[in-house]
Amino acid sequence: MRTMNFAKRNFKEIIRDPLSVVFAVLLPLLLLFIFQQFKIPSDNYRLENFTPGIVVFGFSFISMFTATLVSKDRTSSFLIRLGVSPMKPVEYILGYVLAIIPMIALQNVLFFILAVVLGLPFSVHIIWAILVSFAVSVLFIALGIIIGSVFSEKASSGIASIVVQLVCFTSGMYFPREMLGKGFSKVCEFLPFESCVTIIKGVMNNDLAGITPRNIIVFAAYTVVVFVIAVVLFQKKMLSDNKGS
Amino acid sequence: MFAIETKNLVKKYKDLTAVAGIDLKVQEGELFALLGTNGAGKTTTIKMLSSLILPTSGEIKILGMDIVKDRQKIREILNVSPQETAIAPNLSVKENLEFMANVYQIPDRKEKIEELVKLFRLEEVLPKKAKTLSGGWQRKVSIAIALINEPKILFLDEPTLGLDVIARKELWTVIESLKGRITIILTTHYMEEAESLSERIGIMAHGKLVDIGTAAELKQIAGKDTLEDAFVELATKGGAPA
Repeated sequence: MRTMNFAKRNFKEIIRDPLSVVFAVLLPLLLLFIFQQFKIPSDNYRLENFTPGIVVFGFSFISMFTATLVSKDRTSSFLIRLGVSPMKPVEYILGYVLAIIPMIALQNVLFFILAVVLGLPFSVHIIWAILVSFAVSVLFIALGIIIGSVFSEKASSGIASIVVQLVCFTSGMYFPREMLGKGFSKVCEFLPFESCVTIIKGVMNNDLAGITPRNIIVFAAYTVVVFVIAVVLFQKKMLSDNKGS
Repeated sequence: MFAIETKNLVKKYKDLTAVAGIDLKVQEGELFALLGTNGAGKTTTIKMLSSLILPTSGEIKILGMDIVKDRQKIREILNVSPQETAIAPNLSVKENLEFMANVYQIPDRKEKIEELVKLFRLEEVLPKKAKTLSGGWQRKVSIAIALINEPKILFLDEPTLGLDVIARKELWTVIESLKGRITIILTTHYMEEAESLSERIGIMAHGKLVDIGTAAELKQIAGKDTLEDAFVELATKGGAPA
């Protein structure tokens, strides 16, 4: 009850900030559309490969505005008011996560509709890919909570843009990671973004063999560790922010 | 039974002692003001009394309940209006009130909100987004939200800071109307605010409660004609800077 109430409030805060909708939904849509107009001679830009990349790219903006929302609540003392209420820390975290879910749904539905309009063959696997991407989004929401718990409102969006850049450069959505050398490719393997794209791609294209155990382990480990860090850090920062004079 | 009772309350942050052993008793229904210089420990004291942070040592009883053991129960019966207005900026005033009513799971939510709207005369700003309101309105809304759970104890942390004279006087009227019904702990930098609103005043300096009394008693103790002079005298006794 309290969790849903907090989620509802967070959702309203997000959708009433038009910039978040522009960045999280319209920009990835525009990129998906534009890159399909150029007929680039690379497999990366074929719809079955590029669409999952766009989904994960959209999630990086979810990290950004989760971070902004959390840091804004921290610095405006809104969390002090809630801190003396009967709300429990787990209700805050779930409230932030649940608020983002409708935005994730909107992103996914629009990205896949556009992809189908542009020529991606529709199949039931697209529905499975959408469902899997909800699980993937938890990693990005948790990353946003960590950034928002540590940094100020102004710094948060800057720091979160690093996630956007990391997705672009290490997920393999724009170019194969091998292009930048063996060392870089190895680093990408141990970052979660390439695994996120590969998992959604594998499900969407019904190519489960393309998803390696490494992809699943790296993604699952990052998601669990990042989520736990987000919960602990949020609680810790909520208390340390309340050191008064 | 006292509304608030503390024994040797201490809060330390590594090498810094923010609150250095406070003994305080506040009667039910009393409006008690905490005066102090910047860094005197007022806000830390309020945060401990309101259960937001735990003391390093010492004891706090809220209406006879222990702040550590009965934290969850205590949170149902107190509320706070923080120094910053602390309202959801993109939500309307009505949505802010509804949100906090749901946080406290108020059963007669609609009636309670109507009562607060009437008390604070919020009708004209009810549909407006909180971030579009003036500072005075935001403070009013902030205090209205803090009353949503009909708290027995209300903490007002510098409620009129930065407001113009008219907005300040309006808020004083609202705070006056709550006197006697709710125990109020008010921190302020404004001497006339403490003198006009509170029954007793506590003066804090360097983490300690150096004196407590009515405005008249404090003036008498310090041998000064105004509360401001009495405050400077009492807060700096022992060579501490004002």
